[in-house]
Amino acid sequence: MAGEAVLPRRPTRLVRSNGSGVGRLATARLIATPIVVIGLLALLGRTLSINNVLTLEEVLGLAVFAMATNLLLGYGGLVSFGQAAFYGSGAYMIGLSWLHHWMSFWPAFVLTPVVGAVAALLMGLIALRTRRLYFALLTLAFSELFYQLVNVRYSFTKGATGIFAVSMIPASLAQPRTGYYFTLGVASAAILLLWKITVSPFGLVLRATRENRERAEAIGVNVFRHQLLAFVISGAFCSLAGALFAVYGQSTYPDLLNWTTSGQPLFMAVIGGMFVFLGPALGALLYQVGFQYITQHTHDWQLVLGGALLLVVLFRPDGLSGLVLSNPFASLRRRIRGADSGVTEAEATSILEQVPATVTPRSVDQREQMEVPPDG
Amino acid sequence: MNHRNSTPSDEPRSRPKSGITTISLALAAVALAASACGSSSKSASTPPGSSPSGSSSSSGGTVVVGDATTLSGAIAQLGQTGLQGVELAISDLNAKGGLMGKTIKLVSADDGVTPATGASEVRNMITADHAAAIFGPVASSVAAAEEQVTNQFGVPMFFYTSNDISLMRGGANKYAFQFVPNTLMEPNAVADFFAKQEAGKQLTIATIAPDYSFGHDTVDGFVSALNRLHVNYKLVAQEYPPLTATNISSYLSAIVNANPDYVFNAQFGGDLVNFTQQAQSFGLFQKTKVIAMYDYDVLKTLGSAAPAGSIGFDRAPFWAIPQVASFAAEYKAKYGDYPSEWAIMGYSAVQGWAYAVQKAGSFDASAVSRALTGATVPTIRGDITIRACDHQAEIPEYVGVIASQPDPTYGVRLYSSTFTAPFSDIAPACPGA
Amino acid sequence: MHGAVVDIVSTLSTAGYLFIVSAGLTLIFGAVRVINLAHGSFYMYGAFLLTTIVGLSSGTKFWLAVPVCALALAALGALVEVTVMRRLYEREHLTQLLATFGLLLIFGDLALHLWGTGARTVAPPVPFHGRFTLAGATVPAYDIVVIGVAALVGAGLWLLLTRSMFGWRIRAAVSDPETLACAGVNTKLLMTMVFALGAGLAGLAGAIVSPQSSVAPGIDQAIIVSAFIVTVIGGLGSILGSALGALLIGLAETLGTRYVPDWASTVIYVVLIVVLVARPSGLLGAPER
Repeated sequence: MAGEAVLPRRPTRLVRSNGSGVGRLATARLIATPIVVIGLLALLGRTLSINNVLTLEEVLGLAVFAMATNLLLGYGGLVSFGQAAFYGSGAYMIGLSWLHHWMSFWPAFVLTPVVGAVAALLMGLIALRTRRLYFALLTLAFSELFYQLVNVRYSFTKGATGIFAVSMIPASLAQPRTGYYFTLGVASAAILLLWKITVSPFGLVLRATRENRERAEAIGVNVFRHQLLAFVISGAFCSLAGALFAVYGQSTYPDLLNWTTSGQPLFMAVIGGMFVFLGPALGALLYQVGFQYITQHTHDWQLVLGGALLLVVLFRPDGLSGLVLSNPFASLRRRIRGADSGVTEAEATSILEQVPATVTPRSVDQREQMEVPPDG
Repeated sequence: MNHRNSTPSDEPRSRPKSGITTISLALAAVALAASACGSSSKSASTPPGSSPSGSSSSSGGTVVVGDATTLSGAIAQLGQTGLQGVELAISDLNAKGGLMGKTIKLVSADDGVTPATGASEVRNMITADHAAAIFGPVASSVAAAEEQVTNQFGVPMFFYTSNDISLMRGGANKYAFQFVPNTLMEPNAVADFFAKQEAGKQLTIATIAPDYSFGHDTVDGFVSALNRLHVNYKLVAQEYPPLTATNISSYLSAIVNANPDYVFNAQFGGDLVNFTQQAQSFGLFQKTKVIAMYDYDVLKTLGSAAPAGSIGFDRAPFWAIPQVASFAAEYKAKYGDYPSEWAIMGYSAVQGWAYAVQKAGSFDASAVSRALTGATVPTIRGDITIRACDHQAEIPEYVGVIASQPDPTYGVRLYSSTFTAPFSDIAPACPGA
Repeated sequence: MHGAVVDIVSTLSTAGYLFIVSAGLTLIFGAVRVINLAHGSFYMYGAFLLTTIVGLSSGTKFWLAVPVCALALAALGALVEVTVMRRLYEREHLTQLLATFGLLLIFGDLALHLWGTGARTVAPPVPFHGRFTLAGATVPAYDIVVIGVAALVGAGLWLLLTRSMFGWRIRAAVSDPETLACAGVNTKLLMTMVFALGAGLAGLAGAIVSPQSSVAPGIDQAIIVSAFIVTVIGGLGSILGSALGALLIGLAETLGTRYVPDWASTVIYVVLIVVLVARPSGLLGAPER
């Protein structure tokens, strides 16, 4: 049995990682929730002011970006500082297609995830050979490399000035509310697809590789391939998010490719909560709206943003969705009892219990424990 | 180290069963709250110029103008001083009773040199603050983004620092006005002066410019102007260090070792200070003259390291424009230092807008735009005509030779002689003309 | 010959500059395994502080001012360690990155208030004010100072870590803090001192390179990427690796500017990628536990 590369059979009914089944009520809720939320957002598209509709349009694109990055971060345990390379590639796909008359908007838009996937495949093949901080910095270097390439080849890309043209997208999409509905549609589809991926066997095994790489390898999981696939999927969706940005802003410029842009979805995932599926989306909303609010009211936005980031990271490591999801008394009780280290052991066990395991879990270093709530 | 072998049921089960539902509801709640805050203010159809409190009487009340520019980072000084010029213009107007009886209120924000940030700030200023006019930023990329927004909402936009000629898109944007010499005018002026000074001689020239469109366009413009003026030159080196690169010694030693007579440098602000300092230590200025945007702020920072005999160009040197003297004193009294070129151009841009509003008798964008196009506006730097075909202000560019002694009045090495390149000589032809 | 000399000096001075700037970062990472983005802030503060102390003059004042800046930043570093960094030791690297990025932003904003938006200059001190010719090539005299200080810092750090009690304790603390604490060593104080030393080195770097480099807002963020890349190429925690990394980058940039000037700004990233492909933990680094 050892060495057999056995992936869990696709369960015949939805099974949560804590082993409990999902009843009919829960299934209904699981289906109804996206319908209700999307419906609500669609309604907002009609009732909000133009300014807020546009803000929400921007947030939707960023939410896709953040959630695609979180596939790597929260689910895969991979801190990539290079996702802006794909984000920017998606935006530039639209921009350059317009600038050089390669193709019209729609074919370009459909091709963006492909562009992102290909770029991610190439980058992943190189970057995934490294681990942890080296991986983070290598992906950062790729991001900066793309940024410099775009800056340098300015006769091709218009360099630091960027490409600004309302006509790079169809006129209908340039109308705020229409553009919003389009973005809502694409983003919803993307997020639903991402959700399916995270609850699929692939997603579960990915989480297992995050928890305990050696153990996953020991039972025959090809960790590299899983991570590479996750990287490619993430790259495709990040690229799509970039195309959505091009729709929102009718522009593309090199800053979309640099490391500070790569950092944004990571902030959003951390602020929103990286172990909750919709956490990054919440983070995107809070960050964007919060940032706009701050810059409107003070020139010292760096002070406020830096302070907020510091406080959230130090005192709310679960992100703000941890606030939403957890019972404050339970967390207080836990803190008093001193039992606030994670239950990584148990979670890893329960996930991998769907796979034959012949090796007993190795004790996990305190440093590598992370809180893992039940999926949702 | 925790070796708890707890089963999942140990974990506090007080969390709700489905995170998705809860988070979605949280998101929806936040979105609703945000929308409630947003739509409680005026709808987008409120005409600009009415006060937020609702009274749109023809006298009294406030009118808002906005400026989203760069206030942090490497180019902060340009944005900061420019904004101060705009601020001073507005407070001077308010001191004289405001505009059409209304007090002018300035809202400003830091764009962080990010186009998307500048664009959403301007959008906020227009929709939430009902800004009647927007004054432009430092970086051309941010300017392009902000211009898209002002065009979309039909609000007048005034550029007074970013000067990319493509911003005016050949006059297609009827609401935008350029109060600063554009990217073609500047190198033309320099080439003009250069040709006059060095007529007939054979020269070797090196160029160095920040590696982005402004740098490339400026260098290309200079070289083609030299060709047009039949200057006898040879290019011995062309370097393009990244914008805001701190260590440029390899670029510099390449130039030094090419031994040129002149170096044309398109860097500005902190980059130029950095370059000059390092070039001093290479002894570049012994045999070479540098031509660069040596304006007041740069010359002041350099102090005794300012390269005497080298050539500087400036879009509005306060010491060389006699009409600006009283403004310079007023600015110094308020902000503690003499005005930069950005401050002067910012002030004149506000004056341009105010003039147009008074001429049109309204704050309406189309009326203001029509009133300003082709008009001649009195400003602190003299009368400025706004060319009809591309909304470019017909202003000169100034070129001078850096003095070897500090100016007795200002204590900084300024220009010993200043050459004013008139607009007619340096301006690009009207598009489609 | 002339070209080669220019290239060699240029490489050495770029490498020296990069090494001085990265040394503190490497030390802190090697000793306490913390990513500190605020390193850029310490660098910038060192430079600005020097300009404040020295003003536009130079001379002996400069040589006195440099250690003052280093000490001041060491003090600031100690303060930061006690208040913030201490809570980050056991955390994931991403958390450390984000927290220290928050610090970077805060310090950046404070600097705007303390020193304004303009650039500042410091003249090189008088004996090194000029230049000299070496085989027909012009070399600024201050380059010698940079190279010299880089060598001193490198040697000093190496000696500190391998030959001194302090260094021994640091290395022990990295492997097994509990046992060290049982042996009676105040590990908390040790960590504070290490971090202070790293910050002091960053301040020293800022002060020393200020005559040759820009002192203006934004240099904190500009330096951070280069410093990290040099550190990572060499292998996190290895001083010698950091020196090698600096040399490699210095060489690549010099050659890049000469032979492929259009692509020179991409060189540093290409080098990082190539090095990490060949050696996934950097030149002399060990894989992270």
